[in-house]
Amino acid sequence: MPGMNSGVNLSNPVVVAAFKAALLHQGLIVLLILLVFGLAWIGARAWLRRGAGGGTGKQASGSPAPVLAEPAWRRLLRIGFGLLWLFDGILQAQPKMAVGLPSQVIEPTAASSPAWVQHLVNWAATTWSYHPIQAGAAAVWIQIGIGVWLLAAARGTGSTLAGVASVGWGLVVWVFGESFGGIFAPGLTWLFGAPGAVLFYCVAGALIALPERLWYSPRLGRLVTAGTGLSLVGMAVLQAWPGRGFWQGGQHGTAGTLTSMAQTMAATPQPHFLSAWVGSFASFTATYGFWVNLFVVAALTVIGAAFLTGRPRLIRPALIAFAVISLAAWVFIQDLGFLGGLGTDPNSMIPYLLLAAAGYLALVDVSPAEAAAGVTAEPAGWRDRFQPASLRRSVAGASYRTVASVCAVGIIILGAAPMAVAQANPVADTILAQAINGKSATLDTPAPAFSLTDQHGRTVSLADLHGKVVLLTFLDDTCSTDCPLIAQEFRVAGQLLGADIQHVELVAINYNPLYTQLSYIRAFDSQEGLTRVRHWLYLTGSTPQLQHLWSAYGLVPAQLLPAGAMLAHGDYAFVIDQSGQLRRELAFDPGPGTQATKSSFAAELTDAARQLLGQS
Amino acid sequence: MRLPARSPAVVLVLASALAAGCGAAAPSARPPAAEAPPGGAPFLATSLATAAGTWAVAVMGGTAAAHNNFWQLFLRPAGSTQWKLATPPGAADNGGLVVAGAGGQSLITGFRPSQYLTYTPLVTTRNGGQAWAPAGPLDAAVANVPDALAVAPGSGQLLALLSGGTAKLAAAPGYTRWSRLTTQPAIAATAPGRRCGLRALTAATFTPSGTPLLGGTCARPGTVGVFADRNGTWQAAGPRLPAVLARQPVAVVRLASAANQTAALLRVGDGGAARLLAAWSADNGSHWALSAPLPLGSTRLSSVSFGAAGEAAVTLGGNRAQAIAGPGAAWRPLPALPPGTATLALGPAGTIDALAVHRSLLTVWQLSPGASGWHASQTMDVPIQYGSSG
Repeated sequence: MPGMNSGVNLSNPVVVAAFKAALLHQGLIVLLILLVFGLAWIGARAWLRRGAGGGTGKQASGSPAPVLAEPAWRRLLRIGFGLLWLFDGILQAQPKMAVGLPSQVIEPTAASSPAWVQHLVNWAATTWSYHPIQAGAAAVWIQIGIGVWLLAAARGTGSTLAGVASVGWGLVVWVFGESFGGIFAPGLTWLFGAPGAVLFYCVAGALIALPERLWYSPRLGRLVTAGTGLSLVGMAVLQAWPGRGFWQGGQHGTAGTLTSMAQTMAATPQPHFLSAWVGSFASFTATYGFWVNLFVVAALTVIGAAFLTGRPRLIRPALIAFAVISLAAWVFIQDLGFLGGLGTDPNSMIPYLLLAAAGYLALVDVSPAEAAAGVTAEPAGWRDRFQPASLRRSVAGASYRTVASVCAVGIIILGAAPMAVAQANPVADTILAQAINGKSATLDTPAPAFSLTDQHGRTVSLADLHGKVVLLTFLDDTCSTDCPLIAQEFRVAGQLLGADIQHVELVAINYNPLYTQLSYIRAFDSQEGLTRVRHWLYLTGSTPQLQHLWSAYGLVPAQLLPAGAMLAHGDYAFVIDQSGQLRRELAFDPGPGTQATKSSFAAELTDAARQLLGQS
Repeated sequence: MRLPARSPAVVLVLASALAAGCGAAAPSARPPAAEAPPGGAPFLATSLATAAGTWAVAVMGGTAAAHNNFWQLFLRPAGSTQWKLATPPGAADNGGLVVAGAGGQSLITGFRPSQYLTYTPLVTTRNGGQAWAPAGPLDAAVANVPDALAVAPGSGQLLALLSGGTAKLAAAPGYTRWSRLTTQPAIAATAPGRRCGLRALTAATFTPSGTPLLGGTCARPGTVGVFADRNGTWQAAGPRLPAVLARQPVAVVRLASAANQTAALLRVGDGGAARLLAAWSADNGSHWALSAPLPLGSTRLSSVSFGAAGEAAVTLGGNRAQAIAGPGAAWRPLPALPPGTATLALGPAGTIDALAVHRSLLTVWQLSPGASGWHASQTMDVPIQYGSSG
């Protein structure tokens, strides 16, 4: 899938340092948000209460409406999934995430899905690859923000919105991060995490967002347990389906699907004892694959059927059994899900279990009186809520939970805003280029003069370009690796400069001592689509002329290598200002030459040119 | 989680990417040029005899990655028994080398493009590989066949067969201005092309009198797809097959001209019934002498070499090889080839050299007339620059 992989090493120190710095800066802003909101709340409440004659908000609004306790099922979902989001947010802060998530997590997940899923996922993952720091940090803060929000907002509009946020973000993650939880891929199985951990986050968010009048409805518990039962029976059928490799352990030297999965997970970097457990299970499955699968199929069927009955006395033991096998699968097959430096969450077992338990609680924890009473007080309309007096009452009576909820929204915006701004720039961040080659060197010396022949046969000298910013590189016209990539970066830089290209000249000087003819310059231009690029000059001359220039610019001399090797040369780019002074030297090894890095180098060139144009 | 991975993701990506619109152009990904020879076999490996001596082409280096395969050109100068490395410098040759004798000490070499290169650099030598001078280039990839380049005797005109099935011509000495001679569809639309049901062009040469000849694969059984450009008209110029082979599909494997005749190698039949036929014509393709068929079965044909007098030698799968001395002669099996034999080179007085390669080591094995086995006559460590094209 093109675009997903920036090609930069996962642990590239430049990117990792930038990611950590971004998280640190944004973390300080989070603390500032907490401090400002906390102080504002304390100050406003004290001031408003003084203005109301020392009375409390509640007293001012008359007798308080009776408030029902939040039902246990909802509290379980809210706190459980709030903690999960928090944990996921922390996992997103792992150093390899910024670069590794698209290529190491998203791409492999999408690989077995149909082409249309891959295209969809690729589109989004490419965006991540172009702006790894902003995207990585956004994921951290958005997930922490949602977690805090769910934990803080126990009821009311804020809590509903927290549930909605969980659904919204969860869907983004489920579609783009999990490739729809793999439901369109052939290897779908409950054991590996189907139908996608984050789908449970979405369902939980939707349940949390339900209006209060439905909290105590007995139908809710029946619906959730029935849904759980149905999904488990469905998973049992999938598990039992022949030809998917689950019935075989490791016969004839070929590992079955489950064995292979456990073996893969055991090889993940993790504590030794855990690796040993998972490895032992892989060996066990290799020997008793049929019986393991039979047990899983039977267990899922029985547990699912029990949930489908809707009878608490059957569901309770089924829930316990479900917890036991879920935890076993979580440890022995999913290997906890979050280890190895690129784990994004603890996989599906914990959220699945939370949802099943919430369904059971919703079924049994219904007070008839509460259910009959429904919501005890009619909430005020939106118009009423924005009346000055009502606002005063709200602020004065706001609890720490409300303030924490507002802070959580601030944290989400903190993560989302820079990413949204980055998206407005469809060119990759220059950090990718810097990650490959380091930062450019600043110079201030006269650029060595040249007088050579351009692709049209005209003589061009550096003096002719006086008054323009010159972006200069050296290209071997028969090069089959780096030079075409560098040429593309110059081509894209020409596009990115837009109208500013009038004041810029994109110049390449031939870096091949043998193929110096104009016909080769033109063939290279044609190959790279440079023939119609405005202000593009590809210059050549005699071999001594070229060799003199390479030396004058301090380049590694081009070397003719034996035995069919490409010419040996370096990769350079220079920025020459309007008065002919060399201002910057960019190490220009294009590295992996991915879409992201190409765009990144072009952005670096463009920035350098604009900087000089801005100074003139 | 790690498996069905879950990403955090992509943010506002949706919203913001939509908001950002389609403004700027991210550079488009471009797949590297195709590199592998047909069927993965180093079929470009060959040898040819010129006045300068015998030239041989073989692939060496690594096997794991195409960019560590480097094609080498060797020369055994006339009168010498020792080979020397003659690979032209200045361009990566991972995509393959195609050579054509240009009369006297001259040879022209095309670098099949690899990785991001899409055109064909050309280079010539006039002194038996001591110095090389650029020519061309050819603005597209030369075909992945050993007879993709041919030089006209006398005029020095260069005929190039491109990978898309187009044949182009350029004038000596620079070969910078190319004109289209014909294309596979154009020949297929002519009367002889229709009779053949021309599917692909596979070889190009000039007859000793300078007539362009193109060979190809015919859909119609029993028809040999050799076409000659006579006064601007493409005419059938292939041999007639004996009746016993008339129901078999025919592909022209090689076309080469030397001295005063043109030689062709034909593959007749498919699968286990495949046979190899050599054919020679001394009158621009009007009449051909055919060899007896050599049963190939399902054996892979990995290299074909021609000698100065039209003799031919082929290497087959399973370390087998056969040689034929010329018109009227019969195929004769050669002793089992040394391991790693890339191609054979026909020498003076009936000697045959087998060029065997193992990574960067070339071992030359010689077979003297009447001998029952090969003996090593030379080894050469070729300075392969691993990683230089990676």
